Amino acid sequence: MAEKNIYDPSVDQLAKDAYFTASQGQLIWTRFKKQKAAMVGAWVLIFLILSGIFAPFLTPYDPTIAGRDKDYLNGAPTMPRFCDDNGCSLRPFIYAVERERSIQTNFRWVTTINTDERKYVQFFVQGSEYELFFMTFQTRLFGVDEGFIHLFGTDSTGKDIFSRTFHAINTSLAVGTIGVFIAFVLALVIGGISGFYGGWVDSFIQMVTDAVRTIPAIPLFMALAAFIPDTWSAEERFFFISIILGFIGWPTLARRVRTHLLTERNQEYVLAAQLCGASNGHVIGKHLLPSFTSYIIVDLVISFPYMVLSETALSFIGLGLKDPVNSLGVMLQNVTSADVLLNYQWYFIPVIFFIILVMAFVFVGDGLRDAADPYGDTKK
Amino acid sequence: MSRLIDVENLTLQFDTDEGRITAVDNVSFSLEAGEVMGLVGESGSGKSVTAKSLMKLNPGNAVYGPDTKITLHLEDGPVDVMALQNDREMKIVRGGSVSLIFQEPMASFAPAISIGDQMVEQLLIHTSFSKAQAKEVSVEMLDRVGISDPSTRFGQYAFELSGGMRQRAMIAMALSTKPKLLIADEPTTALDVTIQAQVIDLMKDLVAEFGMGIIFITHDLGVIAQTADKVAVMYLGRLVEQGSVRDVIRRPAHPYTRGLLAALPTLDDIDAPLTPIPGDIPSPLERPPGCVYHTRCEEVVGPVCSARVPALLQVAPDHTAACHIYDPAEAAE
Amino acid sequence: MTDTPLITAQNLSVHYPLRGGLIGPKPYVGAVENVTIEIAAGSFFGLVGESGSGKTTLGRAMLRAAPITKGDVVFDDGEVAYSLKNLGKKDLKDYRKRAQLIFQDPYAALSPRMTVRDIIAEPLEVMGLTSSRAQTDARVREIAGKCRLNVEHLRRFPHAFSGGQRQRISIARALVSGPKFIVADESVAALDVSIQADVLNLLKAIQQEMGLTFLFISHDLSVVAHVCDHVAVMYLGRLVETAPTRALFSAPRHPYTKALLSAIPSLDPDDRGRAQKLEGEIPSPTNPPPGCKFQTRCPQAIERCLVEEPVLEAAGPEHKVACHRWEELFAQA
Repeated sequence: MAEKNIYDPSVDQLAKDAYFTASQGQLIWTRFKKQKAAMVGAWVLIFLILSGIFAPFLTPYDPTIAGRDKDYLNGAPTMPRFCDDNGCSLRPFIYAVERERSIQTNFRWVTTINTDERKYVQFFVQGSEYELFFMTFQTRLFGVDEGFIHLFGTDSTGKDIFSRTFHAINTSLAVGTIGVFIAFVLALVIGGISGFYGGWVDSFIQMVTDAVRTIPAIPLFMALAAFIPDTWSAEERFFFISIILGFIGWPTLARRVRTHLLTERNQEYVLAAQLCGASNGHVIGKHLLPSFTSYIIVDLVISFPYMVLSETALSFIGLGLKDPVNSLGVMLQNVTSADVLLNYQWYFIPVIFFIILVMAFVFVGDGLRDAADPYGDTKK
Repeated sequence: MSRLIDVENLTLQFDTDEGRITAVDNVSFSLEAGEVMGLVGESGSGKSVTAKSLMKLNPGNAVYGPDTKITLHLEDGPVDVMALQNDREMKIVRGGSVSLIFQEPMASFAPAISIGDQMVEQLLIHTSFSKAQAKEVSVEMLDRVGISDPSTRFGQYAFELSGGMRQRAMIAMALSTKPKLLIADEPTTALDVTIQAQVIDLMKDLVAEFGMGIIFITHDLGVIAQTADKVAVMYLGRLVEQGSVRDVIRRPAHPYTRGLLAALPTLDDIDAPLTPIPGDIPSPLERPPGCVYHTRCEEVVGPVCSARVPALLQVAPDHTAACHIYDPAEAAE
Repeated sequence: MTDTPLITAQNLSVHYPLRGGLIGPKPYVGAVENVTIEIAAGSFFGLVGESGSGKTTLGRAMLRAAPITKGDVVFDDGEVAYSLKNLGKKDLKDYRKRAQLIFQDPYAALSPRMTVRDIIAEPLEVMGLTSSRAQTDARVREIAGKCRLNVEHLRRFPHAFSGGQRQRISIARALVSGPKFIVADESVAALDVSIQADVLNLLKAIQQEMGLTFLFISHDLSVVAHVCDHVAVMYLGRLVETAPTRALFSAPRHPYTKALLSAIPSLDPDDRGRAQKLEGEIPSPTNPPPGCKFQTRCPQAIERCLVEEPVLEAAGPEHKVACHRWEELFAQA
């Protein structure tokens, strides 16, 4: 029987065999890899996530009040340089800053840069203590032996914006993860029951879902913010906000889960399994869930930026997180004064990072969605 | 009878992730006005792709061979379809002089617009009728194809009609622009057999009345026997046999055609065993070298079948087959 | 063949409720109405009809995959005897081992995320028929071999296979639990002609080898004529004629059967115009006409047909017809 004939020498036999034995997941991964934008997005995302996790190590200072530089408020970024008028050096350095006030300056603190005094940037310095993975460390990636180095400048209380940015990425991702996780679990259960059983169960649950969906988020948060006791610690507040975001976010995901289930439930291979006497559990676990895993992953990845942006918006208007827990929203709370906009533009550097983060999520999500079309090459 | 269309050396390949796949390989045929040509083949034969090429309806990753030449002979003169660049120029061909009917009528009618509105829209694009005139012509066409109560049906939506009626409505829509050439891509495959008989009769009547040429694409040899004047058989992108319908069905020359006819269950002899063609149709990724059919052929002549692609050789007057059996040089061995 | 039929549908009706109608009797679609057929063990029973005939629903009802509204289905294979209407959960699970279904669409019937081995093994695992992985593998390999699938194929995913191969995987999955009764629902309709014969031969071979009983549902009469030993014809949920194959095809009694047979396009190009054209469309099952369901299109309908629904009468050995005029029409022929 002429089934396995390979005639064209240019088509690799191993490649064909790989194609035939590739599972759905492998096929999707192959298709995903072919999309450049998605791959770039994926690398950027991995980089940002890792920098968020390892933020305490990568940044020189504690992002809270404890790590502030009293002498350098609203300071411009100090970029390391290799050469200046006094010659070049292999080691990067920055200039020392001094703060003084006197009659000449009208008793205002003025910061001057002393271009003669160099502070060399050193790597793996011993900085302030921090906790990572339940262990305490002291080594930071870089720093200066004396004084401070502020790659992104400082804010009005002297906190290093560079350190704050990376910690903020971590916080936002953490809030996003918890929010997405809660939304996902709720969506799976509620959307799952709705889609699987159909009928009046479905109609009833859809009514409830629509009702929850119409709740306006901002007024709800304002109401909740009024109820959060001041005595709660920053961490408790943090979890509370994440949970609320999850509870607001589930209707959209639930509707998607339900749609996927309604379509898949009527597929013939599901009926084939039922005709073997398969229990509902078996059908759900072995056929339905895997069938929309690829869709759901896409939905999850795309939900992430919405969570991050929601949290940012809430914190920005003061209803979300507060100091010392910092996120982009918290950092942006102070940018609304004209003073900042005109003079201290470096406050906006973190915004660039967040734009990149959200775009990376979007590219990866789009790439996954394009790659995940399951019947793309199987229909005649 | 005047020549309607000349297709010469049509070669079409698709650029896909798995490489360049050949869908149509050096196909040539022609059609006269008033003639019905049956284009027969199974899956992977390239028949649908060939038909779509005549109106350049293939997707963006389609690559035509350099020798491909499709000439449409219209009243104003010959039109080189390959040379038509943009959609505006293609308009002459698409829907104007050439119309296409699909297999799945539900898929070709927009669900949210009434049938009548779609027919009028088509007429307004291709002719200089006013809206009122277009409506009149459309209702007349609906009546002509045998739809009862045409003025009511004009305002109905696709889902309100049964399968047979939808197919008739699609034929009406395709014919309302009085095309010279009608391409019917599996128009009766999705229909019940009693409805299929009605639609086939309708198409034959319309050919006689309008003097159009029809290219009838199907895998069903019975339908071809009943409607076509001449037949072209395709396998894996190549034209393997061509001739009048009587020649091809009564005296099939190519082993594939013979195999197809033998595999068909007929009512004449219901005790006869069913003889399939051994093997499977190779995937387009694995096109066999030499004669594309040699991997399943029961009448292989010799090593030449896997080495050289056979040309369309004369078997009888107006009957050709692409098989080395008919090569006098090979027969001498 | 034994005397007791393996499976019998007794006055079976399958009604699907429609929405609406708070007052008065609930509207419903009569997908199957009062059908009685007996399928003998070891037979290859054909069930034909067009769209709306209810043949698929009947097949599903006999597997308890469609609700039984009235009447019953009785299954008796010598080991167990079940009345499907009142089957308890435990008995239903046992019945599932003995009766299986082969689907029409080879592309939708196989989960794209499971290997062929897992697909075929699934019934074994769900029904707990084997006690170890090795035993499952052995059984899978055995059945796959019968369907001409080798070990290489078992490792692959469905997207690697052609339509005909996928259908063989479907068949293997249906056979693996060792059933006695198989419903093949349009199992070759989606396949190319040259492959159809192959799959049909496989089904017949398996039937002989494993002593199975088949209910072969199809709209293609030519196929049914070749493989089935007994045929039942349905129209709009009702049984109109049932007879041994030879008798049905050589001397059909019911006007619908006659029309169906003559509507099949003949392979003889000179045999045109023979088709007895049936006018009109198939009525919608939600709104069936009164009296005999076929009266709207029957060329031989009389007054009585418009009011009174005919019952099945004996017309020969194992031959039954539901028509008021069959005797006089048969005498005329």
